[in-house]
Amino acid sequence: MEYVLKNGLVYDPANEINGEKMDIFVKDGKIVESLPDDVKVIDVTDKVVMPAGVDPHAHVAGPKLVVGRLYRPEDSRRGVSQKTKVERAEAGFSIPCCPTTGYRYSRMGYGTVCEAAMPAMEAKHTHEEIATIRNIDVNPLTLFGNNWFVMEYARENRIEDLAAYIAAFLRISKGYGVKIVNPCGSEAWGWGKNVHGYDDKAPYFDVTSRQVVLALAKANEMLGLPHSIHIHPNDLGHPGNYPTTIDTLDSIKEITKSTKKAAKTRNQTVHTTHLQFHSYGGNSWKDADSAADKVAKFVNKTDYMTCDIGQVTFDETTTMTADAPMEYDLFKISGLKWANKDIECETAAGIIPCIYSPKTPVATLQWAIGLELFLLIDDPWKVCLTTDHPNAGPFIRYPRIISWLMSAPRRMEMIENGEVHKWSHKRTGLAGLEREYDFYDIATITRAAPAKVHGFTDRGALTPGYNADIAVYGLNPNDFDPSRNPEEVERAFSWANLTIKDGQILCKDGDLVATKKPHDIWCDVKGWEEEEARICNEIMPFFTQYYSIKWETYQVYDHYLSDPIAVQALAK
Amino acid sequence: MKIITFNQKKTSKIALEFDEIVPNTVMDWTKENWDAYQVPIGNSRFPITDFFDIEIEGEADSPSQVKMVLNGDYGRVKYIGFRMTDGEIEVNSNADLHAGAEMSGGLVTVHGNVEAHAGREMSGGKLEIMGNTKEFTGASYIGEWRGMTGGEIIVHGNAGKQCGECLTGGKIHVLGDCDILAGIHMTKGTIEIDGNVNRWPGGQMKNGNIIIHGKVGRLLEGFVEQDIVTDPEVDGVTYPGRYIEYKGDIALNGKGTLLIDAEKNRDRLSTWIEEDDEYNAIRVYRNQ
Repeated sequence: MEYVLKNGLVYDPANEINGEKMDIFVKDGKIVESLPDDVKVIDVTDKVVMPAGVDPHAHVAGPKLVVGRLYRPEDSRRGVSQKTKVERAEAGFSIPCCPTTGYRYSRMGYGTVCEAAMPAMEAKHTHEEIATIRNIDVNPLTLFGNNWFVMEYARENRIEDLAAYIAAFLRISKGYGVKIVNPCGSEAWGWGKNVHGYDDKAPYFDVTSRQVVLALAKANEMLGLPHSIHIHPNDLGHPGNYPTTIDTLDSIKEITKSTKKAAKTRNQTVHTTHLQFHSYGGNSWKDADSAADKVAKFVNKTDYMTCDIGQVTFDETTTMTADAPMEYDLFKISGLKWANKDIECETAAGIIPCIYSPKTPVATLQWAIGLELFLLIDDPWKVCLTTDHPNAGPFIRYPRIISWLMSAPRRMEMIENGEVHKWSHKRTGLAGLEREYDFYDIATITRAAPAKVHGFTDRGALTPGYNADIAVYGLNPNDFDPSRNPEEVERAFSWANLTIKDGQILCKDGDLVATKKPHDIWCDVKGWEEEEARICNEIMPFFTQYYSIKWETYQVYDHYLSDPIAVQALAK
Repeated sequence: MKIITFNQKKTSKIALEFDEIVPNTVMDWTKENWDAYQVPIGNSRFPITDFFDIEIEGEADSPSQVKMVLNGDYGRVKYIGFRMTDGEIEVNSNADLHAGAEMSGGLVTVHGNVEAHAGREMSGGKLEIMGNTKEFTGASYIGEWRGMTGGEIIVHGNAGKQCGECLTGGKIHVLGDCDILAGIHMTKGTIEIDGNVNRWPGGQMKNGNIIIHGKVGRLLEGFVEQDIVTDPEVDGVTYPGRYIEYKGDIALNGKGTLLIDAEKNRDRLSTWIEEDDEYNAIRVYRNQ
């Protein structure tokens, strides 16, 4: 299939194209330099054209989602719509069913989503779910931060063995990268405890979070993986947690970035996720305030880290994370129903509904801190747009966040009209921030930066040779002021005029016209096969003794993957 | 007044769904509209005229002037009166699940029994059931923590399990008996039960009132006896007689009120003195 998108206003930060009127040529699912004049023309005159969106951190598949859907049937009844000739029936708001997840991302012009927490033990199921999420490609990150083998290697500083273990378990779980959640804390939860601060030890392992994080970062760079370590630091959601965040990120400065080919795309050695939840000052919720300025200042002066925000959206949502002790803390505060899911020898997750009301002080503080971080971090390439779906809000609210970022008057209106609690201006500096994102910045934080952070070399840009993943929005920036029309911005980014995935038009004027199978993206480490075999033999006695399932059934075989893309990392 | 009468022609084994057919949506519908309308059945739709002869009489300027009369067997018709805001629906048979669910105004009368979830999450209006209801009358949707928030449900027969679950407002009056866990998780509103209650009324209630005129099978440990009260007044209504008053459920630091008929539940008291000053005597006995 060949066609040209004619006369669009193109925003492609990876190629430094800022609103130029251009034609984009598509052939056989790829973007090409040019095509003959007689090819099919799709007129997108004076419409915004961007690469399809890339979500760098969301929870869209896996065991937590299943528990959430099972114990929150009331969420499933929200957002119900009947099947059409193209779509299956939709259901769910904060934890939509799998096909619905794909449809909704597609309507917003997204093409790729990172599933941010996949326990290796539950990887088979995660991939089975990914296979049913239509229209978006998914790269799942494997959880390593509380893995018993990892903690042993970290304590003994056996970095090469750890690297071999990571290579083997990325292959076994078909994971894309290394995810660390509350290192040592989720293990401590097995004993009803948590760790506090960066130098607290996991019970019975005699290893600190610092040791685990640094060991994993070194191993990650030793392998030269396309993505850096992806960390959810300790003390999430606790007032006064920002020193832990800065301690954690500061420690990474000693890590030398890999020069291997797969790692070349990215600049960072650590990606910090949902930074909003880690930027709180004060000592308790009574005196909690924003530490966004301190955290943003740190981010601005470093060149080895990136982050996503986890912006609160004022919705009733479902929180779910492999930080089980934090979820228990949330349960104690809210009293809402709580579920816990232990993954033997690897991690522990918790799930609890959460109502982020604009009338409550804490939710408003969180909302304002998220926006402060967006506005105080100078370089948009260091920050990505997320809600940590569904934890701070469902991903369908991305357009609303974009409207807040593009309109300072709208933010002030919310504060001055009392739409949000007074903590928004009494305990944060949001009211004094006048910065507004433009379309180029928005394209950066939703497309180019997330793709670069994840080391993608086939998406996130409109470079010839890249996948033809394209979004067209019905806005003309030349005669439209987003600052004065936030509702229109939200509407336009909610319903893409065109969503194109691998050259196929999936969405027209907000309606799905086709669906396609997703690509399941994983990282295939090459060159460490001998070390992988050795380490697997080494762990086998322990695995056989302590795991409740057999090694043969633990592994994810190729037939579990939907149209897999194996990104090769040449480790030697 | 506009009266829309449904006369059933045939039934369906798979339930029909009437969630789109309430006075506020069909007020202006003509015969042509009804002929064109397809009613949901399972994952498909079929012409409603395959199942009903529909007669329309009179005119209406507002939904309050619309009355739907359903004749036949509606035991396999779900969502009758769903999200109704005004007007009246009279069902001359049994009704299936979710009758009166999420209604905010108007009147639904069912001259028969109703399946589970009757009056679920209703916020206004009145649902009157002449027969029995099954589980979750006036309750929340499964998993939800807010049930009925306003309006009134009257059940002339018996109510099933977890009647008034998560009640957050309004009143439920059961003239017959009630199964276990009436008012579980309730935070506001009133449940009045004329008959007997199987077990555990008010489990984990945080606030609100339950008045039971019959015999209570078993109470949860979280209810603390307060006193014996005469002619108590709840929300401006006086309930004549003598009641044992409990507060609970203390397991959740709840402050709900549970009033149970003192005479019918005298076995809960260690002694019973048939004298004029019996209540004072009981109080004295308790304080010893």
